[in-house]
Amino acid sequence: MTAAQDSGATKVGPDTAAPTNRAGAGAGAEDQMDAPMPVRPWWQRLAQDPAALVAAAVLVIIVVCAIAAPLIAPHDPFASSRAVMQPPVWTDRGNWLHPMGTDGQGRDMLSRLFYGTRLTLIIGVVSVAVGGILGSLMGLMAAFRPALDPWVMRLVDVMLSFPAILLGLALVAVLGPGAGPVIVALAIATIPDCARIARSIAMSIMKQEYIEAGRALGLSNAALFSRYLLRNCISSIMIFISLRFGQIILIGAALSFLGLGARPPTAELGMMAAQGRDFLLFAPHIAVIPSVLIFVIVLSANVLGDALRDVLDPRLRS
Amino acid sequence: MMSQIANRLLISIPVLFGVLVLGFGLLILVPGDPAIVMAGPTASPDVVAAVREEMGLDEPVVVQFFSYLGRVLQGDLGRSLISNKTVLSELLAAIGPTAELMFACLIWSVPLGIALGTLAAVFRGGLIDRAIMAFSVAGVSLPIFFICLMMIQFFGVKWQLLPFIGRGGPLWTVEGLRHIALPALSLGAIFIGPVARMTRSSVLEVLKLDHVRTARAKGLSETRVILRHGLRNALIPVITLIGLQAGYLVGGAVVTESIFSYPGIGRLAVGAILSSDFPLAQGAILILALGFILINLIVDILYALLDPRVQT
Repeated sequence: MTAAQDSGATKVGPDTAAPTNRAGAGAGAEDQMDAPMPVRPWWQRLAQDPAALVAAAVLVIIVVCAIAAPLIAPHDPFASSRAVMQPPVWTDRGNWLHPMGTDGQGRDMLSRLFYGTRLTLIIGVVSVAVGGILGSLMGLMAAFRPALDPWVMRLVDVMLSFPAILLGLALVAVLGPGAGPVIVALAIATIPDCARIARSIAMSIMKQEYIEAGRALGLSNAALFSRYLLRNCISSIMIFISLRFGQIILIGAALSFLGLGARPPTAELGMMAAQGRDFLLFAPHIAVIPSVLIFVIVLSANVLGDALRDVLDPRLRS
Repeated sequence: MMSQIANRLLISIPVLFGVLVLGFGLLILVPGDPAIVMAGPTASPDVVAAVREEMGLDEPVVVQFFSYLGRVLQGDLGRSLISNKTVLSELLAAIGPTAELMFACLIWSVPLGIALGTLAAVFRGGLIDRAIMAFSVAGVSLPIFFICLMMIQFFGVKWQLLPFIGRGGPLWTVEGLRHIALPALSLGAIFIGPVARMTRSSVLEVLKLDHVRTARAKGLSETRVILRHGLRNALIPVITLIGLQAGYLVGGAVVTESIFSYPGIGRLAVGAILSSDFPLAQGAILILALGFILINLIVDILYALLDPRVQT
């Protein structure tokens, strides 16, 4: 067993706690009966954590800005102007025409930030979603059909042995730089961790009596899988995936920073930071603002993910 | 324990095989005709045909793969398309600096992370704990390239304290140390957070155990209880964490080396990919993947040696 597997097993022991039954039809009644007092809904508990509230608000604002980029961007993100390397508005030489200043080619930073955030988020969301779905299905199948288990787990072991960034490098070497290869690499990198966590969550649910009851009722495998297993696993898996989101964004941005991700003139936050590298001395804002924005996105995602996990599924706490 | 190690070695075999398939794929799946890519765009048709023959590109893929395997096992990874040196010699020149960088990164960041994590556990729930945990969440959220750029901006350019381009020499020379300082500080910075977090939860876990209560009941001082009975047992999960983080170490080294123009494997890989030097890219990725497997193997063996419970 690898180190990775060991720690996965300790994270979610198969019999550490009852399954999460929020979505489970009828199955939650038993657990709630021996709860000493009525549990408040999760959003109320989450609302008591000020850090989580701030993080959620920040993320919502950033996502809305990214989606609405074409509507709210004050300038064309690709159009150069003669105002090259103009500093942001809060410095002496700044003005409101370009609130975040301009980059080395005189392009409006604010507009590029909107578009850049959009691409950065798309890369992160698509790869985490694709990798998360594939990985979770693998893990669930391994738990549902024990005959498949050893094969799936060996495959996961092999996949865990490739760091995401290496996979990205290899794919980019073959396919050429671009957002596509980065998404594929990040999606593949998300699969093994998700498969492991989904498997261990699903294994604990497969031991529950209602699964046996479902079998006894003569439910088909498909119904058992989708109505009994999947529904009871899905929230825990979603939380785990949200915890991975920040890391995936960071790796994607790093690949773009190295010139292996999104191609110019597209705006992507990591690439924008790389373009500002040469002007660090005269116009630090070109590199600093996109980097800080990545930091804010990842920090908010991490803080919110941690808080959601504590509220919804403390079993995942390592 | 021996069976544990043997088991671990057995798992490494399919992984190694996968790595070799990847390296082979990098050479075969290149855009366009690999023979033309190898021979260079200006080569005459005769040269291309000779290269095709030499590389065995007219053979079936399976035969090609096994001859590739044979060549790799003999240390023949091909020649760089740009420098025309053998890939092996390029890799051998870069492997030392990368190992030095990783060593220089871990040597300060892991002890600091363990110290911070222990402090946080001891003052659980207090101001120190919350400050350290906030710092570590912020640390894992920072893009590594931003840390590098800020190091260059302040220590390199503004205060002119340390050099920030290239490598000054071996680690034991003054120039070598001065040059490796900023890359090692940047790379280590992303490591402190996870180590501190893991140490904290692990120490908290151990302090609940019976033997710690016994130690306290014996009247040992609190420092002694925490250091001898708590931390010592808490370090085992921390070691596995280092194995889990090896991917970030390798990835971080790629970024750090590129930014500081540090002549290691990571910069070699990125440079080779950006200049379509496929044989060199293949070699560099192979070595990085091997390094990753090796780090994990060492960590697992250490784990088995340190924790007697693994033996069962």
